Amino acid sequence: MKAHPEREGFSRATRPLALIVVATLLFGQATPAFAYLKFGVPVRGQQVTLKWSQTPVRYFVSDTGVSGVTSADLQSAVGRAFASWQGVPTASITYQFAGVTSASPGKDDGASVLGFQSRPDLDRVLASTSFLVDASTGALIESDIFFNSAFPWSVSANGEPGKFDVESIALHEIGHFSGLGHSALGETELLSTGGRRVLSAEAVMFPIAFAAGTIASRTLKADDIAGISDLYPDGIFAATDGSLSGRVTKDGQAIFGAHVVAFNVATGLMVGGFSLNAKGEFSIGGLSPGPHIVRVEPLDDADTTSFFDAAQNVDIDFRVAYLNRVIVVPKGGDSGAVTLTVVRK
Amino acid sequence: MTRLTTAALLIAGGLWLQPSVAFAQAADPPLMRLEASFGVLWIGSQPLGASSANETTGAGGATPLFSTTSELASAAGIDGRIGVRVTRSLVAEAEASYLKPQLRVAISGDTEGAAALTATEAIQQFTVGGGVLWYVPNRGWSPRVAPFAMAGAGYLRQLHEQNTLVETGSFLQFGGGAAFLLSSQPRFHMKGIGVRADLRAIRRSKGVAFDGGGRTAPAFGASAFVRF
Repeated sequence: MKAHPEREGFSRATRPLALIVVATLLFGQATPAFAYLKFGVPVRGQQVTLKWSQTPVRYFVSDTGVSGVTSADLQSAVGRAFASWQGVPTASITYQFAGVTSASPGKDDGASVLGFQSRPDLDRVLASTSFLVDASTGALIESDIFFNSAFPWSVSANGEPGKFDVESIALHEIGHFSGLGHSALGETELLSTGGRRVLSAEAVMFPIAFAAGTIASRTLKADDIAGISDLYPDGIFAATDGSLSGRVTKDGQAIFGAHVVAFNVATGLMVGGFSLNAKGEFSIGGLSPGPHIVRVEPLDDADTTSFFDAAQNVDIDFRVAYLNRVIVVPKGGDSGAVTLTVVRK
Repeated sequence: MTRLTTAALLIAGGLWLQPSVAFAQAADPPLMRLEASFGVLWIGSQPLGASSANETTGAGGATPLFSTTSELASAAGIDGRIGVRVTRSLVAEAEASYLKPQLRVAISGDTEGAAALTATEAIQQFTVGGGVLWYVPNRGWSPRVAPFAMAGAGYLRQLHEQNTLVETGSFLQFGGGAAFLLSSQPRFHMKGIGVRADLRAIRRSKGVAFDGGGRTAPAFGASAFVRF
């Protein structure tokens, strides 16, 4: 989260047979994904989606507190955040609190640990998630989350002015912990300091946090729910939800990294996705059946590196546009490919 | 041109008119007489309400990314009826109709200044239903004219474009009109022919209704009928 501190990931040292992933929280897959970005790791030349293969996913909470937040407070707050993700009715992932530990997050010990660490050097990073991955299979071995104790924290039910809400930030990081990348459903403005201030967001997985004192991000949004459901679908997800797919072009050429939003006119819910390959293709899953408005915008409300690898050529030189057709998402199926044509700014 | 050929032309050209079965009271036909009609039905637009693509602010409020206003646009279609006279002034009818209205969603107020536009989609609407038609007793007007009141209800099925999604619901309707008997001379199996027009209010429940609530729209029907 930028403008105000970012929720960022960082790299850990590699150990034999293991690969540490996520550094910068985000990198997209080479093929169209659904609804959001998912993490991927290269395994023998193939991109493998990073996800837990067995549930419940066990996690430990560090026994270290900070001013105003004890270890028990931290345990309660992250417990509520885990419960929010686990409560998604169309997702199957479950989590289990394994106990309090003296270990710190970031240790390659096979245990997933959440806790505070002082990282004043990361002056825009509120919290970060890292992964330990079996390089030979892509299996997720461990994921740790640290909350940067260089910032003031709170677990107050109504939030505290000037302090960041542990539960809200934990909810975002647990999305990463589960394998989700960032969502672009949010609006920001540039600050004179070079950072960004979030004006609004409709996804917990938006990369930049609201200002200190708010608790507005304690609730998962449709975009988050679509993401976790696609990553860990339960038995009814494929039958009850649908998808919308297509491609984005400019001057007859496909563009990469365009942010496409599907808005259900009946429910008022929004889910976003990205054009993710050389053909400009996108696919947004986890949509409730019904008529949708489709909007496409450049990825200009956060650094593109918050979403994609810096080597990716994300095109942000086009105007916001809408599809002139209402697209109906069927139950358990896809809308059929649509083409969004955009023009240069 | 004889009266009969005029009537035939009216029937042939009257297929744009709305359907319904009418037993002209003046002719006073016997009970259990059948009547079939075919014509056109026009239904006015039905507002479906407004909604916004809201994002949450830091204070927990909402701010729109953009806003929409939706309607099921007015449309004309075809309608057919079969009726049977159950009393001297009462007719029981079965009805079916088909229309292809357009779902229109007007998009405006984009937070990044995108131009407003209206996105559309064609809906196929089928209805089947039943009702009653009551002929007003003659007050001294022409014996060929039979004013009536009508009411009915039925099942609604709406198919989104490319049959990707089906929405079902029900409808109620009431209104009134008049039937005009063009000829009552027996010919082949027909005992009479005429035309009919009516105005109604149709209240639809569910179907394409984003808030699940009912929608009322005016409707006009015109048809040609044949009495057997």
